[in-house]
Amino acid sequence: MGDRLICFFMDTGFMREGEVEEVRTMLTSLGLPFKVLTVEDRFLRALEGKTDAESKRLAFRDTFYTILGEAVKGEGCEILIQGTIAPDWIETSGGIKTQHNVLEQLGVNTMSSFGFKLLEPLLDLYKDQVRALARYLGVEITSSNRQPFPGPGLLVRCIGTVKEDKLDVLKKATFIVEDHLRQIAPPPQQYLAAIVEDDRTPAGRGIDKILSKVHDGASAYYLAGRATGVKGDDRAYGKMIVVSGIEEEPKDLFEMPEKVVHADREIVRVLYSISDNSAKSTRKKRIKRYFVIVRAVDTRDFMTAKPSAVSLQVLQEIAKGVLKDKRVVAVAYDLTSKPPATVEFE
Amino acid sequence: MYIPVVFMGGQYNHLIVRALKELGVSSRLIPQSTSLEELKVDGLIMGGGPHSVNDGLNKLGRTPEIIERCTFPLLGICLSHQLIGKVMGGEVVKGRQPEYGRTLVKVLETDDIFLGIDREFVAWASHNDEVRKNGGRFTILANSEYCDVEALKVDKRPIYGLQFHVEVADTPRGKDILKNFTKLCKN
Repeated sequence: MGDRLICFFMDTGFMREGEVEEVRTMLTSLGLPFKVLTVEDRFLRALEGKTDAESKRLAFRDTFYTILGEAVKGEGCEILIQGTIAPDWIETSGGIKTQHNVLEQLGVNTMSSFGFKLLEPLLDLYKDQVRALARYLGVEITSSNRQPFPGPGLLVRCIGTVKEDKLDVLKKATFIVEDHLRQIAPPPQQYLAAIVEDDRTPAGRGIDKILSKVHDGASAYYLAGRATGVKGDDRAYGKMIVVSGIEEEPKDLFEMPEKVVHADREIVRVLYSISDNSAKSTRKKRIKRYFVIVRAVDTRDFMTAKPSAVSLQVLQEIAKGVLKDKRVVAVAYDLTSKPPATVEFE
Repeated sequence: MYIPVVFMGGQYNHLIVRALKELGVSSRLIPQSTSLEELKVDGLIMGGGPHSVNDGLNKLGRTPEIIERCTFPLLGICLSHQLIGKVMGGEVVKGRQPEYGRTLVKVLETDDIFLGIDREFVAWASHNDEVRKNGGRFTILANSEYCDVEALKVDKRPIYGLQFHVEVADTPRGKDILKNFTKLCKN
């Protein structure tokens, strides 16, 4: 392609702290000609008032390609090359979730809709194979080992409504989670933070009874937000339940989700309460506060995944850091495998 | 050796192709509409999918008649395991507890498919329905705490069904079980 190539990097507003600069440095070191499109406002506007995970993803995708279409036209290009990989089209055409980078597999004609032809050279590969390919091509190890970050970024970890202060809390929590979990040897394949409004309903005696059989003193409550899962090759958009009142190593709780999911088939996430300040914050009850979820998984290809055995001590340190932001009430760790959960939250 | 995979719409069908290629077998996804006459193969695998065989077999293309008439080795996974059970006269019902994620499979009969595999092994599953024998023309090869038929073999024919997913990375012995199947295709 030579000098006929131009790369675009879109700052959607859903990037992590310092990420735009980091990508800029990486692309420069790879010697690629690129342009950064700063388009945060357009995304925020497109997502205003949306709470349902799929309508958020669809709005993201449409905004993404409208902007890309303009950029491609502006450069006089005819072809767009994108890094869509196997899990993207498998999950999208299977109706599990709409990935932002799948069009042709859904029957969208990109030429008539957006004005470009599409090339997807990685369609047949999974993430671990993409890394192997990158190493084979001599790409620097920090790039080839970079943690996958979803196209819609923090949007799919900002459960429910998108608000600027919610995103701000999430960015800070993400920084703390990544900073701690990066240092574990070996680090989990994927680790992240998610955020949701702290809005609880007791789970009821049925589930508490099941829990107390396994762990004395355990009880549970539901969060109002919903998360995406996959059960028996079908999409599940279900409830998140938080187990509290116990202090165990997460690895000793990995069999708990199975029992809880069977008790209420709408559950797709079982979270383990690490630290909870809700009893202390009675004074300003009317202000909606946030609940932060830490997720870390071990996975080869992201099609299946199991929760990582992060120690309780590390999780408590993370929680301490995250709770310094007074907008956060509680921190929990996600114990759910994929299936029935997914790696990301929406 | 050529063993294609019939695409049944499931999440892991393409991972079966990947696993076969890693075993040195050529493979690709083929549509459900493929007829038995079109298949020039050493063996065939049918993947999982979101449908229930109890919602009618008409959504499953030509797969029921392939199961009835094929002479080459055939492996059905998840939905296709249930389809084999149904076509062979067994029953498919809603499981008393669905399995999502980790399960412990217990081998009852080694047969060729579980040669060299421990009597108990960790596997990943993702299903709501399950097979009941109920007079079906097959032998139960494995079960688990929540599922009575984790694996089956059709009587007098090289046809196997597995309720769990050998093709995912979280089933550690999955590839060895798949390799056992490819060995049957060679003979």
